[in-house]
Order: sequence, then C-alpha cells, then structure tokens
Amino acid sequence: MELVERLTPSMRRVARMFVSTDAVADEAVQEAWLGVLQGIDRFEGRSSLRTWIFRILVNTAKTRGQREARSVPFATLAGDDLDEPTWDPTAFDAGGHWSSLPFDWRGLPEERLTGHETLVVIGRAIETLPPMQAEVIRMRDVLGWSSDEVRNALELSDTNQRVLLHRARAKVRAAVEKHLRSVSA
Amino acid sequence: MSNDIVCRDLLELISRYLDDALPGDVHAGVEAHLAVCDGCSMVLEEFRTTIRMTGMLTEDQVTPAQRDTLLAAFRDWTG
Repeated sequence: MELVERLTPSMRRVARMFVSTDAVADEAVQEAWLGVLQGIDRFEGRSSLRTWIFRILVNTAKTRGQREARSVPFATLAGDDLDEPTWDPTAFDAGGHWSSLPFDWRGLPEERLTGHETLVVIGRAIETLPPMQAEVIRMRDVLGWSSDEVRNALELSDTNQRVLLHRARAKVRAAVEKHLRSVSA
Repeated sequence: MSNDIVCRDLLELISRYLDDALPGDVHAGVEAHLAVCDGCSMVLEEFRTTIRMTGMLTEDQVTPAQRDTLLAAFRDWTG
C-alpha cells in the first residue's frame, strides 16, 4: 500500500494528460493498479518497478483517451516552446556573450532561499508549466528519479526528456529569481 | 578557438552537463568556459540551488477518499 500511496498522485496527473476528466483519470489509475497486480508475475526487472507501473498506466490512459476520441497533440502536453531558446536572447550580444547579467541571488541567506515563501513560488511555477514539463521536473527533481526511469515511464525519447527537464528548470529558476529580486529590493 | 562555447549556447547545456550526459569534448568545453565566465558560473550555481530547493517540495498526498476507492477496487479483484 505504501507504493500505491507514493505513486498514485503522479499517476493521476499523468493519466489526466490523456483523458478528459479527473474521474476518468482515477478510473485509469485503478485499472492500471489492477493490471499491475495481475501482471506482476510478468515483471522481469528489466526496468525499475515504478517505471514498469507507469508504462502500464500510460497505456491504460491512452487507450481510455482513444475510447473517448480524445487525442492530445504532443505539443499541447510538452509545450510549444521547445524549439525556442531557453534564455531571453536580448541578454546576449551579437557574439552570444552576456550583455546584461541576471540578478545575482547567490549570496542570499539560506533561510530566504529555502524558506516557505520560495518553495511556494517553486510549486506554483511548476503548476503553470505545460503538463509534460511539470511531470518531468517533478519526477526528476522532486521525486529523484533518473533520466532513464523518467524517459521510460513517460514514453519520451532521451532528447525530449532532457529538453523538457531543462526548459522546466529554466522557468522555475526564472520564477525564483523574480521572487528573490522583488523581496530583496 | 572557433569552436569555443559561447554563453548563449552554454545555457542550453546546463541540465545535460549536470546529468553528465554530454559528449566528452563538449563537457570539457563547458568546463573551460565556466572557468573563465562569471555570468555562466553564477547561472550554473543557481540551477544547482533551484534543483536543491525543488527537491524540498513534497509530493501531493493521496486523499482518504481516493485511498478508499483504490482499496475497494483491490478487494473486488482479490474477491
């Protein structure tokens, strides 16, 4: 039951990407867990158990999404900004070197950096990301999964996993910078 | 050298650099750039701090109602 409690919140969010309502997402999660129980004998340990559980979930949720005739373009989930530069191009000169440096918040006290307020800012920043970017950064940086585990669990290419993660981190870092600049002014 | 990494490009490589997922020559190029560039070193440190702070977030909890629904589904299955 501990594993169920630990994985279910991410599973609900991942399922919700592919189906139209929270209720259907919950059904997909239940169905996936039953599939896990029924198929556990076939788990061969070639991936981690949690990755294997997510693959069952993603398949279940996609099947349900298709049944609902709901097809979500990858760009909607991943964000349509993946080909754009991560950083504001006006920060650089023509040669690609810094022309104006961002606010330097390295010297701020630890309690300001890791205080409740900053963590709330980070949580909100993640919530506003395109769903696949949000899920990749949660799995990697909140839950501490490896890049291979996340790539396999969410059926992403290695490149996409890396682009989504970097994009998500850059936006979260920017939100932190904006917050710390405003409270330090 | 003409193949030196400029700041604009280095910023795209930070997550792969931190994952140790860059080809050896690119990894070395990133290190060489960081050794002489305060701006990029600052941003790299800020990424590291951001990742550490993100790791302090807690994952959503399963609500009691969701837990009961799942348990009921398991009971039905095991009969």
